Amino acid sequence: MDFENHAQRALDTATAKGAQYADVRFGTTRDEHVEVRNGVVAGLSDAESSGFSVRALVDGNWGFASSASLDDDEIDRVAALAVDIANASRAVQTHRIELLPAGKFIDSYQTPTQIDPSTVSTSSRVEYLLNVDKEMRAVQGVTVSRSWIDVWHTDKLYASTEGSRIKQSLVQCGSALTALAVGDGDVQDRQYPGTAGLYQTGGYEVINDAKLLENARRAGEEAVALLTADQSPSGTKDIVLSGDQVSLQIHESIGHALELDRVLGWEANFSGLSFATLDKLNTFRYGSDIVNVVCDMTCPKALATEGYDDEGTPAKSVDLIRNGVLVGYMAGRDTAAAANVGLAGVVRAEYWGRLPMIRIGNVNLVPGNATSLDELFDGIKDGIYMESNRSWSIDDKRLNFQFGCQIGYEIKNGKKGRLLKNPTYAGMTPEFWASCDAIGDQSTWVAWGTPNCGKGEPLQTARSCQGASPVRFRNVNVGVGYGG
Amino acid sequence: MAVDFVVDQTEVQRALDIALAASKADETEALMMGSESALTRYTHNYIHESMVERNWQLSVRAVVGKRSGVASTNRLDADSIAGVVARALEMARLAPEDQDFPGLPGDAGPLQDGGDAYDAATAELPPEARAEAVASIVRVMRRSELYAAGFVSSRSDTIAIANSKGVRRFFRFADSAINIKAIGPSSSGYAEGHARRFNDLNPEALAQTAARKANEGANPEVLEPGKYTVILEPPAFREFLGYLSWIAFGAQSLDQGSSFMSGKIGQPVMGANVTIRDDFANPKGLGVPFDFEGVPRQRIALVERGIARDVAYDSYYAAKLKHANTGHALPAPNSYGPLPLNIVVDPGSRTLEDMIASVERGVLVSRTWYIRLVDQKQTVITGMTRDGLFLIQNGRITRGLKNMRFNESIVGALNRCELASELVRSESHVLPAVRIEDFNFTSGTEF
Repeated sequence: MDFENHAQRALDTATAKGAQYADVRFGTTRDEHVEVRNGVVAGLSDAESSGFSVRALVDGNWGFASSASLDDDEIDRVAALAVDIANASRAVQTHRIELLPAGKFIDSYQTPTQIDPSTVSTSSRVEYLLNVDKEMRAVQGVTVSRSWIDVWHTDKLYASTEGSRIKQSLVQCGSALTALAVGDGDVQDRQYPGTAGLYQTGGYEVINDAKLLENARRAGEEAVALLTADQSPSGTKDIVLSGDQVSLQIHESIGHALELDRVLGWEANFSGLSFATLDKLNTFRYGSDIVNVVCDMTCPKALATEGYDDEGTPAKSVDLIRNGVLVGYMAGRDTAAAANVGLAGVVRAEYWGRLPMIRIGNVNLVPGNATSLDELFDGIKDGIYMESNRSWSIDDKRLNFQFGCQIGYEIKNGKKGRLLKNPTYAGMTPEFWASCDAIGDQSTWVAWGTPNCGKGEPLQTARSCQGASPVRFRNVNVGVGYGG
Repeated sequence: MAVDFVVDQTEVQRALDIALAASKADETEALMMGSESALTRYTHNYIHESMVERNWQLSVRAVVGKRSGVASTNRLDADSIAGVVARALEMARLAPEDQDFPGLPGDAGPLQDGGDAYDAATAELPPEARAEAVASIVRVMRRSELYAAGFVSSRSDTIAIANSKGVRRFFRFADSAINIKAIGPSSSGYAEGHARRFNDLNPEALAQTAARKANEGANPEVLEPGKYTVILEPPAFREFLGYLSWIAFGAQSLDQGSSFMSGKIGQPVMGANVTIRDDFANPKGLGVPFDFEGVPRQRIALVERGIARDVAYDSYYAAKLKHANTGHALPAPNSYGPLPLNIVVDPGSRTLEDMIASVERGVLVSRTWYIRLVDQKQTVITGMTRDGLFLIQNGRITRGLKNMRFNESIVGALNRCELASELVRSESHVLPAVRIEDFNFTSGTEF
């Protein structure tokens, strides 16, 4: 495809129709998926999609249109439609959308990979998952075994009336397994790795790193053992969360709360608002002194890492929480201008045909000093270790939360004890993070990816990362939902 | 001129025919889904996002013996179609045999009538009409000294299926929706509308409902956690039933034993006043008369007068479990198995107003948020209330309440409930408000 000519045609049409600013994104995605369920291949798919979209700013109003057709007529129609849509919004215009400059970039970016996924045949992926599945089903009592591998390729081209021309080629891979056991009036499941699997940018090495085969039998055994495990207790206890559970805690109670569009009310109807309002910037105590969180779009391996976001802002690292104090937001060009803050490079669309919006990037908890889980257990007289998420719920300003995990262990006098099922914990975001008194070190830190974050109307999914280590929290309300 | 695979039936069928003709598989299925989706979002009483998205996808399922593979593309020239067919076949040849796979379904005969589902005026609604609807919402908000956030949407969709065993289906439908969250200094109120015809929606009336709720809920008070008589309005009840559909009303969850219906077909599971159906043809619903394998959708009773009756089946689970195919397949491949997408709950006898009037002390829930499963077999969920929580005292709504978290068994709640008499569409479901006794609120939040 002649990117330069097509892009220029779209931008010229939008400009001629009255746009003061326009950008155009051409994209191609290819998603390869292999899934095995109970010994049979339940999903073997290879989906490709391509098209383009135009975003136009006309007298302070946004318009956006997209199409799967890629000929000149359609480029003209879509570019003109974007401007018409923007003009229609004048009917209720009380606010003029402005843009912070992103700069002019003529550049390209490619995800670094060690093993090109195309060198690993689909048949070998199938064979690997069938072996993983066999391991799970070797455990008596496993009712459903499921495992899958995803390989995602994204090629995208961005051009703007400000002169940027950016080509990017991204590769993201992930894999996971889940073992489900059904008992009398009870269902227990164990997933691995973590909650959603291991999803990162990179080549097939990401799937090799997950080590599904080595962990499949253990996951099955744990699912079955949970059916007869004691119920996790209710009350107030010290807890240690596994790194993947901390990742989800960050996603829900920090990541979403610090999306500037939510803070400004742009997501009020659906995703909600945020308790972390602008007046709290640089003063609000979000957590204890050891809590440091960054949004680092350059983080190696992290699932959201790319060279530029979908409005031409280069990847960068932005401090969100420093020594427990709120110091930053994830902002896009329009929201940053409205709130007078800096850009984060996190405005992304699900694919070429969707409107770019602020999405959680790589929101990482900076590692602490604890060298192992045992060190985190030290000093806990009576607590619970919880691993891997089973349910997650938080209010629409990101304050009141309740999370359930798949598996728990009693902690008595600093030692890991008996197995516990259905562990849950609940709290209010700032109080919870204020109770954090120990964080695992770099050796325990993983760039956990979230492949399916939902936001926006119409709903878009996005891929984010929350790098985390295991963390200890004091005096937490546990057991809610099971009598607590 | 670009081909529009959303509206052009001839072109859609041509693409399906090319796919079938190009295939060397034992059996082949070609599924085309196209949509033009328009949505205008507003907040702070102005439009901040507005868009039209047009896309389509051709998905080809190739079958070789008892093996199958799926490939898809949105490039629909002859070469690209031949390419996707070849990829699907390559996938199928890589898959091990699935002894339970029965092959693709054949033509299962005529469709039941789901009513007139395509309104051209809705399908082609211009951005100016959506903006005017926002303007009428904003006028109500200004009169009420509030601001609103939400959306006005319209869309048209095409689903077409052909397979090598003679199935040929094409269906086009339109839909529209308005969502309003009215926001005041200390409270918010919610209203929504869904209709096949945009002109059947009344943005001003919906805005008045949302504004009234926001104003009535001003300066909310804290309610102590505990068990209360609760009335869930349809948008809140819909989330409960949507979750129940997903975890329990499909043949896969029945088969694997994780559904509360497993082993209980024919037995009482809910109150005798509860009947839950799946009915694509309800006039308030979307009216799509076949599933994603082209099989005619059947109207089924899932729970009838409290008795567990049936779940949704597709061709795979119908063959595996020796049950009639009810026409509830999702697009292949998927992890969920067949699911009912058009839940309809039979109404009760009292109006919502009468039901409120009958509550001595209780809580009215307008909308829920972030519901997640706590315990699958016991159907325990947790979630938050939002955008309109009210205290009912002596049959009257007396004040707004700060939002609460609940932990509640859906099936347990439907064993101690009363259903209201008016049916309302919420998303793709049609249902009344519901009164539930001893509803379990476990904590509160700050707003």
